[in-house]
Amino acid sequence: MSRIRGPFYSAIAVVLLTACGSNSTTSEVATSTARGTLIQNPPLRIASLDAAALTAQLNASASGQQLLELAQAPTCGVDFYYIQYWTVGGANETATATGALMVPTGSAAQCSGPRPIVLYAHGTTTLKTYNIADITNPSNTEGALVAAMFAAQGYIVVAPNYAGYDTSSLSYHPFLNGAQQSKDMIDALTAARTALPQTLSAATTDSGKLFITGYSEGGYVAMATHKALQAANQTVTASAPMSGPYALAAFFDAVFYGDVNIGSTEFTPLITTSYQKAYGNIYSATTDIYEPTYATGIDTLLPSTTPIDTLFEDGKLPETALFSSTTPVTGNATLDAALAVPKNPIFALGFGASNLITNDYRLSYVLDAVAHPDGAAPVPMPGVPLAASPQNTLRIAAKLNDMRTWVPHVPVLLCGGDMDPTVYFTLNAGTMQAFWAAAGLPAEVVTVLDVNAAPTAQDPFAAVKVGFQETEAQIVSSQGQVAAVESYHTTVAPFCTAAARGFFSQF
Amino acid sequence: MSMTKKAAAASALLALSLSIAHADDGVPSNTVRVGLYYVHYHTSADDISGPYVPTGLNLSVNDVETLYLAYVRRLSEHFDLELAAGYPPVTKTEGRGPATLGSVPYNGQVISTARWFAPTLLLNYKFFDESHAWRPYFGIGVNYANFYDRRSTAAGNAASGGPTSISLPVSVGPAATVGMSYHLQGRWSLYASYSATVVKSKLTADTAGVMRTSDINFGPRALVVAAGYAF
Repeated sequence: MSRIRGPFYSAIAVVLLTACGSNSTTSEVATSTARGTLIQNPPLRIASLDAAALTAQLNASASGQQLLELAQAPTCGVDFYYIQYWTVGGANETATATGALMVPTGSAAQCSGPRPIVLYAHGTTTLKTYNIADITNPSNTEGALVAAMFAAQGYIVVAPNYAGYDTSSLSYHPFLNGAQQSKDMIDALTAARTALPQTLSAATTDSGKLFITGYSEGGYVAMATHKALQAANQTVTASAPMSGPYALAAFFDAVFYGDVNIGSTEFTPLITTSYQKAYGNIYSATTDIYEPTYATGIDTLLPSTTPIDTLFEDGKLPETALFSSTTPVTGNATLDAALAVPKNPIFALGFGASNLITNDYRLSYVLDAVAHPDGAAPVPMPGVPLAASPQNTLRIAAKLNDMRTWVPHVPVLLCGGDMDPTVYFTLNAGTMQAFWAAAGLPAEVVTVLDVNAAPTAQDPFAAVKVGFQETEAQIVSSQGQVAAVESYHTTVAPFCTAAARGFFSQF
Repeated sequence: MSMTKKAAAASALLALSLSIAHADDGVPSNTVRVGLYYVHYHTSADDISGPYVPTGLNLSVNDVETLYLAYVRRLSEHFDLELAAGYPPVTKTEGRGPATLGSVPYNGQVISTARWFAPTLLLNYKFFDESHAWRPYFGIGVNYANFYDRRSTAAGNAASGGPTSISLPVSVGPAATVGMSYHLQGRWSLYASYSATVVKSKLTADTAGVMRTSDINFGPRALVVAAGYAF
């Protein structure tokens, strides 16, 4: 052994001496869990598409082609980043959340340098894995919509997935919790502003202009975020909430009276779980609200990794029957009539034999609404005030999150369609307009746009209105009236988004 | 074969070779060889998998040339123990698959580099006796490959979506060689050999906490030409 030691180890030493150097490293991970902290800096770029590649990707699908017609050909390329950040849950608990940062790129003047930010809030999804940043996923139509409409035209887009979705550490989603969801949006914005200079697209910078928009649930969230930023004296250039349930308490009351909206059996579990987590008093047991068939596990059902249609098939939720078709009988003829199955066939879809909410709960809710009526529903009162002192805990929560609590200081566009069977446009946008008018807000600050209305002379939104109405007519003729009703809420979205872009372009 | 088994096999090979060694018979027992390695990689890799990775993304490794260094211990007239190593070459990994990922070039781009410290211990059997100038031989042994100075290139970072760290665990695998020696004169000889080695590892790329992986069989085939000095 000793004879070979010298040269043997010398040979090893020769090669070992060369074995030095360092490995490349990835992003830094933040140690702080403070709100708005960007967790991975720089963030992951999921995809980078130049204008031609983005155009090609959109052209690859029929919906993308329609979107291109509406949004116009991309002027800019778009880099899609996946941001992870710290925020809070509905009970102010620390939580992580994720979202998208879409950065315009390219040589055109509006594709780099200082650019405005659009802070976008997406609509309700029951799919827990939802990730608006993943433009490689063909089902991410809302991501494609905001990319084509805003980022490809020179707007930086920040769009949270919301706490409770994707890889968020929160086990539930604080649905329609205005305080939490506005914090989530603001935290995503803070994280995105931290990320932007560190990205592969750092030639594009924040101009300081901030536009806020969102659709459906996101319309509500957009308004809540505008309200929160205004209260914090932060810059908001303008906002365009779209098809959102702003007058939340009035909307809930309308549904419980019997104007059941399409999608109510999905929204209701999200709402009760959200408010139970935040306030702890919505129910003692889920059977306080839900029929025994559905009560077990409904507090953790949504959002789910299982597609909603599978949940329907598996009997986890009824597809449309929010209430029993055997409605409560109290002996009060007026009340019984109010609780009866509506004649409106769309509302009547919300009633069935295998219903979600018990008659007892529905009746107790409506009795509270009768005793402590909301000023916007079922009968509008002057100034459309909130109910003075509701006792039902769900109505108290709805009042707490209703947007009839603020008045904007900068221009707001409220866009939607008046026949929307999912989020009632007049009850929500119309109520906000009436509330703000009663509060003395100059009319020119708020623009209410019904895409289903006839264009007027010199109408800046004439093209949007005509486009929407032609599309609706095509759906009716090709797929029938039922399909047109079922898809109405979704059909409005791109037209309102186009209107929002036109609105923002004024500033 | 597990790492433990491979290490045990290497130890057994060393023990066997040492047991073959016998007393000095006047022939120099030590040889140092210097030459050139021409390494060709028969890379076989699984498509890269992980979040936001399109299907059909693969990679290959470029051939390298490097300095060959070896120490050879004569055990007997017919057996040598060879510890061979190349000066750790920078190996370049290229993307294979679609021309672009979105708008980012991919196919044919050098996406990462790494240096290999990959010594091989071989027990060689030499034909004929020591009076022959030409002596063919073959050998079997064990290769240890440690990948260090691992870097994602700018093109790799662009394709991956940001600064990326790469891990490639150590590989231990069997090696085999066939060769020919030619005794020039005195203590000098020339050598040529062709070796095949099993080098497998699992590439993991970490970009902002998002992991993408691929199991890689590098399949190196090495041609060596060298000169040796016995002492």
